[in-house]
Order: sequence, then C-alpha cells, then structure tokens
Amino acid sequence: METTLLGRRGAVLSLEERADGRLWAIRGDEERAVWVRRCFPWSEPGHYLSLRDADEEEFALVRDPAELDPTSRAALETALALAGFVFEVTRVLEIEEEVEIRHWRVETKQGPRAFQTRLDDWPRTLPHGGLLIRDVTGDLYHLGKPAALDRHSRALLWAFVD
Amino acid sequence: MSTLEHLDDQIIGRYLDQPLRLPADLRRQIESGWEGAPVQLYALSDLDHTLRLAESWMALGPEHVAVARRAPDGAWQVQSVERSRIEAVREAPGLSANTLTLFGSPGEPALALVRYTHRQRRAFENIRFVLEEQLEGREIPSVDPDRAYADGVARPVREAQALVSGRQVAVIRRLLGYLKPYRRQLTIGMTAATLITLVSLIPPYLAGYLIDRVVRPAREGALSLGRASTIAWLAVAAMALVYVIRQGAAVVRLRLMAILGEWVARDLRSELYEHIQRLSLAFFSRKRTGSLITRVSADTDRLWDFLAFGVVDVSLSLVMLAGLGAVLLSLDWRLGLAMTLPVPFFCWLIYRHGESINRLFIRAWRKWSRVSDVLSDTIPGIRVVKAFNQEEREIRRFGERNQDVTAEFNRIHETWTTFWPLLMLAVHGTTVVVWALALPRLLGTGTALPVGTFVSFLLYTTMFIGPIEVIGQIARTMNRATTSAHRVFEVLDTEAEVRDDPDPVQLRPVHGRVAFEHVTFGYDGVRQVLRGVSFDVAPGELIGLVGPSGGGKTTIVNLIARFYDVTGGAIRIDGVDLRRLDTGHYRRQIGMVLQDPYLFHGTILENIRYGLPEATLGQAIAAAQAANAHDFVTKLQHGYDTVVGERGHTLSGGERQRVSIARAILHDPRILILDEATSSVDTETEREIQEALERLIAGRTVFAIAHRLSTLRKASRLFVIEDGRLAEHGTHHELLAKPDGKYRRLYELQLQLQ
Repeated sequence: METTLLGRRGAVLSLEERADGRLWAIRGDEERAVWVRRCFPWSEPGHYLSLRDADEEEFALVRDPAELDPTSRAALETALALAGFVFEVTRVLEIEEEVEIRHWRVETKQGPRAFQTRLDDWPRTLPHGGLLIRDVTGDLYHLGKPAALDRHSRALLWAFVD
Repeated sequence: MSTLEHLDDQIIGRYLDQPLRLPADLRRQIESGWEGAPVQLYALSDLDHTLRLAESWMALGPEHVAVARRAPDGAWQVQSVERSRIEAVREAPGLSANTLTLFGSPGEPALALVRYTHRQRRAFENIRFVLEEQLEGREIPSVDPDRAYADGVARPVREAQALVSGRQVAVIRRLLGYLKPYRRQLTIGMTAATLITLVSLIPPYLAGYLIDRVVRPAREGALSLGRASTIAWLAVAAMALVYVIRQGAAVVRLRLMAILGEWVARDLRSELYEHIQRLSLAFFSRKRTGSLITRVSADTDRLWDFLAFGVVDVSLSLVMLAGLGAVLLSLDWRLGLAMTLPVPFFCWLIYRHGESINRLFIRAWRKWSRVSDVLSDTIPGIRVVKAFNQEEREIRRFGERNQDVTAEFNRIHETWTTFWPLLMLAVHGTTVVVWALALPRLLGTGTALPVGTFVSFLLYTTMFIGPIEVIGQIARTMNRATTSAHRVFEVLDTEAEVRDDPDPVQLRPVHGRVAFEHVTFGYDGVRQVLRGVSFDVAPGELIGLVGPSGGGKTTIVNLIARFYDVTGGAIRIDGVDLRRLDTGHYRRQIGMVLQDPYLFHGTILENIRYGLPEATLGQAIAAAQAANAHDFVTKLQHGYDTVVGERGHTLSGGERQRVSIARAILHDPRILILDEATSSVDTETEREIQEALERLIAGRTVFAIAHRLSTLRKASRLFVIEDGRLAEHGTHHELLAKPDGKYRRLYELQLQLQ
C-alpha cells in the first residue's frame, strides 16, 4: 500500500500554530484545526503522523515530516512534543506490592511522581528496548534504557526487565 | 463524611501526592474575585506549559471560569473568564498529557488553556461537560465540588483496590474478631497446643536425667541395681505417657482448630455472598467476575489455613523458642548462649530469603502471564490461526515463552535448594560449635559437664529447626493472610448504592403505572446519561423504546427495575416514589427478558420456576406452552428434567429465549421489560418468540427496547430516546406522519437496508 504525504496526491500541506493556540492544517482552500496522533508511537515515532480534526476525522497523514516546509515542520514538532508526552523515568525509588495494586515511586524528567499499577498489569517491553508502564489512570511512564539507570533502580526493576 | 468520601481522601493522601482539596486560601481568593459566587467544580492542572509537573487549578463558578497559577513569589495568580464569552470547549487528548482549551470568538486567542495528566482527566471532564451543556443552553444541577474532585481523582485507584491497605495489625485483629463466637473451642485448641509444646520439652530432660541420675550412678555402684531399674522403668513409663499426652493433645488441637477454621471460613463465605447479593449493579460493573469468585473461594480458603494453623503455629513457635532458650540456658548457660545467639540471625536469613524468592516469583509470574497470553490468544482464535496457516509460528512462540518461564522457575528452585541446605549446615555448625565447646569439659578440662546434661542439650538443639522456620516465614504468612483478608473486607465494606427506605411501602396490588418526572441520571461524575426525562405510562400500556445506541434506553429500564437510583427528579410507581418502595417486594412485580437470556445450571423446570419455586408442574407446563417452549422441551430426551446452563445441555439462542419467557410468564410480573428480546434469532424463531411475547405482555405494563422497529408496531406508544432525552413520542402512525421526525428517519433507514 502506498501512502502519500497528504493521503491525497497533488495537494500541498502546510501547518501553522495560530493565536488560538491550535495547530492549523491548510491544504489548498481547505483549512482545519487539527491535533496529531502518531500511528506508530513506539516502533516508528517520527513517521506516519495522523492529523485529526475536532470530529476525530483524519485530515491528512504525514509520512515523513521532512517532506514539509520548515515552518510547518517546526509547528508539527511542537504539537508532537505535546501529543507524544509521557513521563520519562530517571530513577526508581520504590516498588511496593499492596493488595491488588503495585505502588511505584519514581523520579522523572518532569518531577517526582507516585503512581499505581494493577498487580497483573506488567510493564511492556518496547520494540527498541526500554519499558513502558501504564498506571491505573492511563498515564504512561517510559524507561528508555533501564540498564543505564542507577544500581538501586536496576535492582528494583530486575523482576520487570527481561 | 461518608465512607466513600473518607476512602477517596485516604487514597489521595496516601497514594497520589496531590492536594485533597482546592487550597482554602485560593478558594477564598477566587470567590472574592467573583463577588462571593461559589466555586461549583474544580480540577488540578498538574502539567505546566513546558510539560513539567506543577500545581495550577481550574475552577468553575456560576458565571466564571478561573485559572490559578503560582507566581514565583508563591502567591496565586488568578485569571477569570466570563462563561458567557466561551463559544467552544476543546479537549485534545495525548498519550499522557491532555489539553483543555476554552475558545471565544473565532480567530481570538484562546480564553484559557490548561494541561493535565490522565489522572486529572475525570475532574476536567466534569468541567468540560458543564460548559458544553451551557453552550447547548442547558443547566446542570450543582454537585459538591470537593466530592466531585476527590471522586474523579481517586476513582481509578479505588476501582483497582477498594480498600486502602490498613495497618497489618488492624486487619489481623479484625480477622481474629471472627474467632469470637468460637472462644470455647479456641481456648481448648490453644490449651492443647500449649500442652504439646510444653510436654515436648520433657523427653530430652528425662533422657539426661536417666543418664546422669540413674545409668551412671548405677554403673559406678552409687545406686542399687533394683532401685535404678525401678527409676528407669518409671522414667520410660513417664516418657510413654508424655508421648500419649502429646499425641492426644495433637488430635484435639488439629481437629478443633481445623474445624474452627472451617467455621470461620464458612461464616466469611456466607457473609460475603450475602453481601455480594445485596450490592448494586454498579459494583459488579467495576469488579471482574473471576475476582469475586476468587474472594469467596480461594481467599476464604487461605484464611482457613491461617486461622486453623497459622495463628497457632506462629504463637506456639514463639513460645517454643522462648521455652527452649530458657531450658538450654538453665541447663548450661555457656552452651545455651552458643546455641541461642545465632537464632535471630537464622530468622533474619529466612526472612531475607523469603524477600528474594518473592522477587524471583514476580519475575516468574510475569513470564507466566506471557505464556497465558499465547494460550488465551490462540485457543479462542484457533480458526484464524489455522486459516492463516500460522500453527508453526504459534508453536514456536509458545515454545519460546514456555522455555523462558521454565528458566525462571528453575532459578527459583536453584535458590531455595541452595538456601535450605546451607541454612541447615549453619544450624548444624552451631551444633558442632556446641560439641567443640562441650568436649573438653566432658573429658574433664574446665567446668564439669555431666554427660546426661549434654545429651539433653543435643536433643533440645534438634527441636530448634521447626520454630525457626515458622518464625522466619511470619512475614510471608501474615502478608498472605492480610492480602486475602483485605480482598474479603473490601467487598464487605462496600456499601450498596441502592438502599431501602427505613419505612418502606409495599404496593398491594401493583397496578403498573410508571411515571418519570424530570429524571436525570449519571453513572459517573456529573456526566448525565438521562437529562430530564418525563413521561407517564398507564397500566397495561406497551411502550417501545427506540433510538440510537448510547441514547439512554437501557438506563431507563435499569432505573425502572431500580438497579440504580435516579440522580435528580423522581420515578413514581402507582404514584409512589420508587425510592420509598420495598425493593424486594417491588422487584417481584418486575419481569425481564433480555437479549442474551441467562439460564442457571439446573434443569429446565428449575429455570422456569426460578422466580416462583412453589409453582406446580402444571403451571410450569402452561407457562412453557404459552412461551412456545413446550414442544422443543418435550423433544429432549430428559424433557423438563434436562440439565442446562454451564456444563449442561446446550440450547440454541431462540430456545433459551423461550425458556426465559416461560420463566417471566410464571413469575407473572405487573411491569415487564423486554430488552432486545428477539434481536439475535432467525426470522422463524423470531416469529415464535413474538407469539410468545404477545401472550406474555397481555395485561401488563411493558417497556420494550428494540432496534428492529418492525417488532414494535403493536406498541401503544413509542418513545424515541436520543442523547438522554425523550426526543419524540406517539404511536407508530403518528410518528411516521411527522415529515422530519427522528422515528420516521430511523424507520425509512431500516426499510432501505431490508
């Protein structure tokens, strides 16, 4: 299956962030406020980006941001940072098992955080290595290189890493 | 403060590291900026614009929305926006960061923009919902803002674990409270166990006594042979008596405590099951069936084990260790110290071993879940596996994971098979030390040590192992017991959301008039599934409920059956508020035929008589005949005695439906609910079911939900339910006559599809 930049051949797509704080996609005489969803957030985060409008309909599919003009690319990258935001864990301080839940206390790039997972909800190993933990509310915690963490963190994580 | 509110506060305080409420000073500041208007809802925006964790708040008032951020000096900076300026509200969800934006006129900068994690999303959804309703020109009844915030934030944790782990001691104490009714048996059992422990100390003592006071003096001629024989035989008899007493006490202890544990487990199971039966449907939608079954079966079984043996073993091991220590020290304090000093260290080693084994088990369980994933994927999906010729790949995938989990379990085996022999070596090492210390003394160097005393000593040392093992496992035993107790108490402490009035009314007879008066209802937060629904249905009317999925049809029938209570407005049955009725008596007047009828494990007869067990066989047959079920039932080899349900005879969907209709006919309800009763059967079966239903509905008030509109032609009136409202109502012909009617559009759409 061939995927084009716009999901429709021929038209040129440009993106801009406007005063209302939203990302706007313009294609020919069509324009719409959109938000970005990565098609492959973990296996290919930089490619295949779906631009969706307020009704959740796809307005365009960006195969590679490099195909966009520099202004559009910059606007897209800002939107991507927000859409793809997850907590980046830098240290694991505590993992405690309680009834039905596992309690985690971690330090992240965004600040210290405590969260809970269900006992039978195991961290997911990502395609490029690393772990992804989903807490009971749906927030995600990414450990890019568990092996590069400090000794204490590694010891706590040992049971959860292959 | 209700139990639930208290629980939410506990969850936020203990687990979530965020404020329990909107800070009081900020609330005052916001309300004074609004000239005293109250904060109606609020939410914590826990991400700043650079996506770092922060504390900002969004508050909603009757006329304004405020966003408060901390200034560098720590003071609150509040920006208020008039609600009348808001023209659109948008939420952009991300993987973990969501953005809520309030827009004014097109092209203008956003009026307000906040970012937050999923943890805060429910609280923000409440605000968003109210603002969106306002844009539609609708008002939402106000709620307690603190409650809405705490519920929104704590709910996901509460749904995973409805009881915040209390202190272990408190849980164990509560558990031991279940032993109270059996105090007599407990006292006897504990006395027997204490007796076992104490008399166990006698044989080694006797052995030493015989050697030092009888055998040696007799050999040395200090004691006459006759007297020595008499004492020796008396000692042997005493020893025999000790063993008889010990085993007698063991019988009493084992039997009494095992039985007592069963009684307590039985009490817990009954209490638990009774409580589960009384809980509202909302509870069952939150908990998995498997988890509830485990609580009634496996958890109570584990508690039996703890109460029957754990409690006694642990307390007596402590007694035994203290007793042994005292005896050893009194026999010879030097050797006693050599033997007792390492004991705490051994207990600590066992505890550490338990901890590291636990880590290994977590790893093994994780790998085990990957094996289970393959099984639960491929066995139900075996047709797809075969159709795509992927058997080899699946075998390989399973093989790899199976190998992986085996390696983990082998690692566990390596650990414990290394640990225990090493520990035993250390214990024996202390015995060697005792020998090393004792030998010179036995040979006459240093302080004298009688041989008999030393033999007693050696015999006592062998008794150390058992209690050390038990003490070392205390943490694990207590953890297992408190986990199970928690899971049981979690259910017992859940309050039913639908409760009877203290002075309930019984309608005799029930006529079946059902009136909705401005009924609003929401399952979750302030989001309303029904938004002010009003209607009045006369006894004997057949009401067809139609409309798109998610519009609120099933919610209406759930409210009529009082599975939930309304959030606003009232439902009246024969003029009496439903909340004032005796629920048990009222539900006996309600019949339900569902899309996927559930038959219990048992005979067809038992299933038909489920609502009226005292019905005669003749009545059961008459009901089955009316339900068009009699014919197919009599064709079965075992007729009405055919066992159906789980592991029983498999009936087709249409057959099960007709049995369930017979069940409803026999139950003879005044108000009948038909929820998609014919949607999953073929045309011929549908005709038979329709016939049966027509007999069933005669003379009753009926609410029928159907997607196939043709099945509702005979309805007295049709209610079109859309977006939580009664959008249209009237007869089939009246509604078809409306040129732009919703019903007409739905009907025409279905005709085209046919």
